[in-house]
Amino acid sequence: MSEQSSDDIAVAVPVALREPAHQVSPRAVPFWRLSAALTTVFFGAWLIAGMVLLSYLDGTQAVGRWALGLGAVVVALLLARTIWMPPLRFRIHRWEVSPGAIHTRSGWLGREERIAPLSRVQTVDSRQGALMRYFKLSTITVTTASAAGPIEIECLDEVVARQVVAELTEIVESTTGDAT
Amino acid sequence: MSLPDVMTNQEWQRLDRRMLLIGPVRALKELAIPLIITAVGISSRDSASAWWLIPGIIGLLVIGVVPWFTTTFRMTSTQFQLRKGLLNKQQLTAPLDRIRSVDLESSLLHRLLGLAKVEIGTGVDDSRIELNALAEPQAQSLRVALLSRAPEVAPTTPGADEVLVSAEAPLPLPQQLPVPPLELARIDWSWLRFAPFSLGRLVLLAGIFGVVSQFGDELPIFDWDALGSGWDRVQTYALPVVILVGFVSATIAWLLVSIGGYVVQWWNLRLVRENGSLRLTAGLFTTRSTSIEEERIRGVELTEPGLLRLVGGAELSTLATGVGDGGTTTVLPQCPREVATRVGEAILDLRDPEDTQPLSVPLIQHGRAALRRCYINGLDPFLTWILVGGVLVWFDLIPVWVWVTVALALAVFGVLAARAAYAHLGHALTADHLVAGDGMLRRRRIALETEGVIGWVVQQTWFQRRVGLATLVATTAAGSESVEIKDVPHEVAIALADAVTPGVLTPFLA
Repeated sequence: MSEQSSDDIAVAVPVALREPAHQVSPRAVPFWRLSAALTTVFFGAWLIAGMVLLSYLDGTQAVGRWALGLGAVVVALLLARTIWMPPLRFRIHRWEVSPGAIHTRSGWLGREERIAPLSRVQTVDSRQGALMRYFKLSTITVTTASAAGPIEIECLDEVVARQVVAELTEIVESTTGDAT
Repeated sequence: MSLPDVMTNQEWQRLDRRMLLIGPVRALKELAIPLIITAVGISSRDSASAWWLIPGIIGLLVIGVVPWFTTTFRMTSTQFQLRKGLLNKQQLTAPLDRIRSVDLESSLLHRLLGLAKVEIGTGVDDSRIELNALAEPQAQSLRVALLSRAPEVAPTTPGADEVLVSAEAPLPLPQQLPVPPLELARIDWSWLRFAPFSLGRLVLLAGIFGVVSQFGDELPIFDWDALGSGWDRVQTYALPVVILVGFVSATIAWLLVSIGGYVVQWWNLRLVRENGSLRLTAGLFTTRSTSIEEERIRGVELTEPGLLRLVGGAELSTLATGVGDGGTTTVLPQCPREVATRVGEAILDLRDPEDTQPLSVPLIQHGRAALRRCYINGLDPFLTWILVGGVLVWFDLIPVWVWVTVALALAVFGVLAARAAYAHLGHALTADHLVAGDGMLRRRRIALETEGVIGWVVQQTWFQRRVGLATLVATTAAGSESVEIKDVPHEVAIALADAVTPGVLTPFLA
């Protein structure tokens, strides 16, 4: 049992992860802002359409006014998100590839840190949507044998992304064994 | 051990000849209902044309027989190969070192003829190779050959796999020693007392009621007029009696279904370890035999669902890669908690038997902040009801006393649930295993081999971040592919991850 208690002590020593070294591309901020703005406009359009329809049918219905109020709150939240989310996210999103492992941090209200040893990596993919192409951004996805463990580095500069994919692929090819 | 003939014979082989009998029977069974309907339809119009049925039946017999002629398989020194299909020819190949599990299954019909269906699971979870069916002894020797072959081939693949094998267990010796099978568990009929406390088969009972109500309209007791007048009489005379009778008969039905199901499923249960794999055999009518390569078993999960926990029972399953059903295999029926713990720890097969046992080690609890979050979760229904019920009272939809009573009940339940949730929450690290505990009414404990961890996720919601908690997720290829340690203090989470996979986090530590 003495072994167990020494384990406990080892676990209790405070250690912390430092920030991953690199930030994503600064162009991610306008990209996120534009995506969020598009979502807001889309919902706003629905809301206005609903309002027009309701006033056409019966403008005095209590339930209709409730629904409209709720819709207005949602749009206000979306608007706030459009304004606040991109810079906040840019501060939090970071990534780093060490010789042995990959580490990312993401989120804006919450936070998520992912770490995987490169020896367990199975595939390295990159992806670029139409809007991302306009901003010259690219997203890398690294998967392991676990469905719960894909690691995404969102919105890298496309040149950097290409280099990282090449590096990772090289490392992954030289290792085998995915702990299945 | 004499080499099984399937192992030395590299010729293409066919399924057992007795499948020529089973095939047509199965085809007939599948098409029985449409066939009968057609037969009735035709004969009612014109009895002479019933003769047209005969070519149809012959056609079915042919269809049932075709798979035997088109399916062949063989085992080479490196691969298992299966060819099948008449028009769409298909060849399935499984490298022997990728074979993780071999299951045998015999339905009643198979057993009468001495046959067994073989299912081979490879590294990829959802594609299993099926051989339906071989003679029982042939199937057994194929199983032994496939599974004992796998560790033998493994060392030829260089790299991390090799490191893993040697780090994990000194067990799989390169030369094949005939290790006598070691029995880990066997059915004990005193466990039958736990059967009614597991609600898994409730679905079955609901299904039976569903079927009955389908035909309900045809039965006189479901005649609505009769029911209506009967109801009046019942209300005036004997409501308590009816409730009592209903309750007693429902209980009896439940006892029959749960105990019957338990007996049928777990009859003659044996769990043995042999040749580096774990083998489970059970079944009254359909016998199943599941074999999982032990190296692929990355952990076990001990679950005590609410009712079962009240009577001291538990369920046990293994987390492995390359088996169906989400990577988990239930290896014990509902049984006493001590038995499940003992068998679970035997399955884990610790390198040093003196080590702390992952399933009985006391968990490290997560502190006050975690307790507060348990209370918030537990009292969530109460708070929601205060609001919703308040609105309902406001609009005069329910009386005030209902609102207050329900609120009180929810508050008491919420506090109890929160305390239980906190008591079950925790983690531990033993020499080889990461242990995670959670659950509110249902207590669950997962022990995952540290070698099986292939990555980490540290999640923090905004609320968790404010109080310094995090959810630590160990990703793995086995079982449900992730093990969560909820609401653990952030720095403890990082230290734990660092201790489980030494070196992986080092470059990123502050």
